[in-house]
Amino acid sequence: MTHLADAAKAPPTAEQSPLASLRRLVAATEIDLRLFGMLVALAVILLAFNVLSGGKFLRPVNMVTLAVQATTVAILATGMVLVIVSRNIDLSVGSLTGFVAMSYALLMTDWLPRVVGLGPDFPFRWAVALAIGIAIGAGFGALQGFIIAYGRVPSFVVTLGGLLSIRGAVWYLSNGAAVTGLDPTFQLLGGGPRGSIGGELTWLVGIAACLGLVFLLVNGRRQRRRFGFPVRPMWAEVLIAVVGCLIVLGLAAFANMNYLPPALASEYARQHGIPEPPGGLLIPMGLPYPIVILIGVTIVMTWIARRRRFGRYVYAYGGNPEAAELGGINTRWTIMKTFILMGILASLAAAVAVGRLNAATLDVGESYELYVIAAAVVGGTSFAGGIGTIPGAVLGAFVMQSLAYGLAFLGVNSPGQNVAAGIVLVLAVAFDSWNRRRGT
Amino acid sequence: MHMSHRRIAALFGAVAVLAAACGGGASPTPAASAPASAGASTAPSQAAECIVGVSWNNFQQPRWAATDQPNIKKTVEAGGGKYIDADANLSSEQQLTDVNNLINQGAKVLILLAQDQNAILPAVQAAKDHNIPVIAYDRLIEDPSVLYITFNNVGVGKAEAEALLKKVPKGNYVIIKGDPGDPNASTFLPEGFKQAGLLDKIQSGDITVLNSTGTNWPQDYGTYTDAWDTSKAQQNMEAIIDKARADGKTIDAILAENDSTALGVVAAETAKGHPFVPLSGQDGDPANLNNVALGKQYVDVWKNSNELGKAAGQAALALCQGTAMADITIDIDPSVAPTEGNKPIDFQTPGGKTVKAFILQPTPITAENLDKVISAGWYATKDDICKGVTASDPGAKACGL
Repeated sequence: MTHLADAAKAPPTAEQSPLASLRRLVAATEIDLRLFGMLVALAVILLAFNVLSGGKFLRPVNMVTLAVQATTVAILATGMVLVIVSRNIDLSVGSLTGFVAMSYALLMTDWLPRVVGLGPDFPFRWAVALAIGIAIGAGFGALQGFIIAYGRVPSFVVTLGGLLSIRGAVWYLSNGAAVTGLDPTFQLLGGGPRGSIGGELTWLVGIAACLGLVFLLVNGRRQRRRFGFPVRPMWAEVLIAVVGCLIVLGLAAFANMNYLPPALASEYARQHGIPEPPGGLLIPMGLPYPIVILIGVTIVMTWIARRRRFGRYVYAYGGNPEAAELGGINTRWTIMKTFILMGILASLAAAVAVGRLNAATLDVGESYELYVIAAAVVGGTSFAGGIGTIPGAVLGAFVMQSLAYGLAFLGVNSPGQNVAAGIVLVLAVAFDSWNRRRGT
Repeated sequence: MHMSHRRIAALFGAVAVLAAACGGGASPTPAASAPASAGASTAPSQAAECIVGVSWNNFQQPRWAATDQPNIKKTVEAGGGKYIDADANLSSEQQLTDVNNLINQGAKVLILLAQDQNAILPAVQAAKDHNIPVIAYDRLIEDPSVLYITFNNVGVGKAEAEALLKKVPKGNYVIIKGDPGDPNASTFLPEGFKQAGLLDKIQSGDITVLNSTGTNWPQDYGTYTDAWDTSKAQQNMEAIIDKARADGKTIDAILAENDSTALGVVAAETAKGHPFVPLSGQDGDPANLNNVALGKQYVDVWKNSNELGKAAGQAALALCQGTAMADITIDIDPSVAPTEGNKPIDFQTPGGKTVKAFILQPTPITAENLDKVISAGWYATKDDICKGVTASDPGAKACGL
C-alpha cells in the first residue's frame, strides 16, 4: 500500500551489474528492497508460527488481534523515526503515553463531569477528552523539544528526565489507583467487537486504497515526464497496480473474514429480528478502529516526512546538521517540532491503549520506549541519522509484535518472548548494516 | 502486591540515591512528617510512655496511608501509647536513617515495613542494641528476633483457587501468573492453588489447564506477566483466547494471581467478545471490586489490612509492657484472625530461621459478601465499587439497588 507509493517516489536505483531476472524485475518496479525484505521476513515469521501451531495461526481473527496489539507501538514508532533521523532520541514516550492515558480516564470519569459539567449524557465527551489529551501530549513534547533544541541539552538526558518524572507524575494524577468506567464511545478507539468499521466500510477502504495507488502511479508518471526523470516501463506500472490492488483488496477480504463473536451475533440477530441460520449469523467486523487510526497515521506521517518541507528538513538535518544549518534551515524549530509531533502521537497511542483496556492503570506505556525504539530500528532507522522510513518502522512494530503474539499463542512464557525479541532486534540491525555495506 | 510499580520504585530509588550522593541535603526528608519531639523523649515523665515508631518503605500504594497507618495509630493511641512514623520513599538507605531517627525519638517498639528484607538488617541490629523489639509488618525480615505479622500469601492462592473450584469444579482453566521474578507468582500462590486441590483435579482429568506446556507443577502451568503489567496480561490473554478458539475449546475459568492481571484479563475478554467467565484476583483494588459488582470478576481475595494494622498496634502495646513475644495475644475480626489462634506461631522463614508470627487469613470477596468491604472502611469507597452497577448486576444487593 503506502510502501509501494513510497517506492514510486524513490529515486531510481542504478543497477549496473548483471543480476538474476527476479532482481531485475524488482529493480524495474523500483520497489524499496529493504521494505520488501522486511515484508518477506514478516511473512516467514507468520508462516513459521503457522507451521508450529499446526495451521491454526494464520486465521483472520488471530491476525487482527496481532495487528491491534501492534498499533500503539507502531503509532509511536512513526514519530520515533523522525526523532532518530534527526539524531535525537525520545525515552519519555512510554511515560508520556501513560500520563495522557491517565488524563483521558480522569477527564472522562472525574474532571469533565465535575468541573465542566459534561456528564455521560453529553455525546462528544470522548472528543473533548481526546482534544485535551492531544494538547497535553503536544505540550509535554513542546517543553522537552524546547529544552533540547533551544536549551541545547542532549535529548537523551532531557527525555530520560521525562521518563522518570512523567511516570512519577502519573501516580499523583490518580493516587496510584487504576481508573475505570470510561465513555463507551471512547472505548471504541481501542477496537473490540463493537469497535470495528464493519464489512462494507472495510471494502470501501480497500477500494479507496486501490484507487489511491493507481492515482499515485499515474500522477507520479506524469510528474516524472514533466521534469524529465526516467519512467518505469509500462508493464512494471501495471504490475505494481495489479499486485498492489490485489494485496489491499485481499487484506480487506481477510479482515472481513473476522466475524462477530457468536454471542454478540445472536444478540444482534435478536435486536434486528433476523432469523439465525444453523451455523450462526456471520457478521463481518472488518477493520477495527485502532488499525484505521494506524493506517491514517502512517499515511499522514509518510506524507509529512516525504512531501512537507518540515519532513525534508528533518532528513536534511539528520544527514548533515552543519550543512542544514548553513543552508538556512531553522534547525531548532525543526527539532522542537519533531518532539511536538511525538507528543501528539503519544496521545493517540494512549487513546488506543486506554480504549483497549477500558481503564487507565499506572503501568500503561511501561517500557514502550524500548519497544518503540526497537520497532524503528528493526524498520531500518539508523542511529547515525538521516536514514529511516515511516512504513519501515510500522513494519518493524509488526515484526516485533508478531514474535510476541506468536510465541504467546504457542504458550511460550514472557522470558522466552523477551529472549526472542532481543535476538531478532540484533539480527535485523546486523543484517541491515551488512546489507548497507554491501550496497556501497 | 502491585509489583508492577517495582520498576518505578527502582527508578525513584535510584534518583533518591543519586540525590543523596550528590548533595545530601537534596534528598527528601520524610522523617520531618513525624512529630518533631526528639528532645521531649528524654524527659523522665515520658520514660514510661509507650512510643511506637513505624518506618514505612513508601506511601506509593494508596493502601498504606488509607488503612494500615490509621489503624496502627488508632490502636496505639487508644492503648495510651504514642505513635510516630517516617516514610522512606522506597529507599533502603533512607529507611536506615529513618529507623535511627525513630530510636532517637525514644521509640520503645519498632514496626518496620521493610523496603528490602536484607538491607534492613542493620536497622534491626540497631534496635537490638537498644533493647527495642521489632515487628516485621507485612513483609518478612530475615532475623530470628522479630515478630512477623502478615497475611498468609499461600492462603491467598488457596482462597483464589478454592473459590473458582467451587464455582467451576470441572472444565478448562487458564492460569495467569505475575512477574516471573517474584516468588509470590512462581511459588507461593501456586502452592496455594495446589493446597486447594487444583493439582489433584488436573491429575484426575477433571480440569485441563489450557496454557500449560508440560506436566511439571507449577512451572509448566500458566502464563507469566512481566512486572504484573495489565496491558501485558491483556495481550497474553488475547493470544490464549485466540488459541482456544482455534482449537475449538472453551475457557471455563481463569485463575489470575492478582488484581492488575485480572484487570487485563477482563480487558481481553471485552476486546475479544468473550463471555466473562469466573475469574480470580487479589488485592481489593477499586477497579476490581467494581468488576466483582459488575459480574466481570468472580472473586477478589482481600487482605483486610485494617485488621493487620490493629494486630500490629496491639502487639506493639504488649511488647511495650514487656510481654514476651510468645505470650502476646491479639484480638481482631475472627474472619481474618490466624487459624492457629490468637497466640503467635513459630514460622519457618525461607532463610531457615524460626520467627514468632501472626499469619492472618485473607477474605475471598464475591458479589455475595461485597458489603463486607464496603462497610470495613477500605480505601475503595462505595462509589468506586458500585460505579455503573445496575439492578441486574451481581453486586446490586451490596450496592443497595
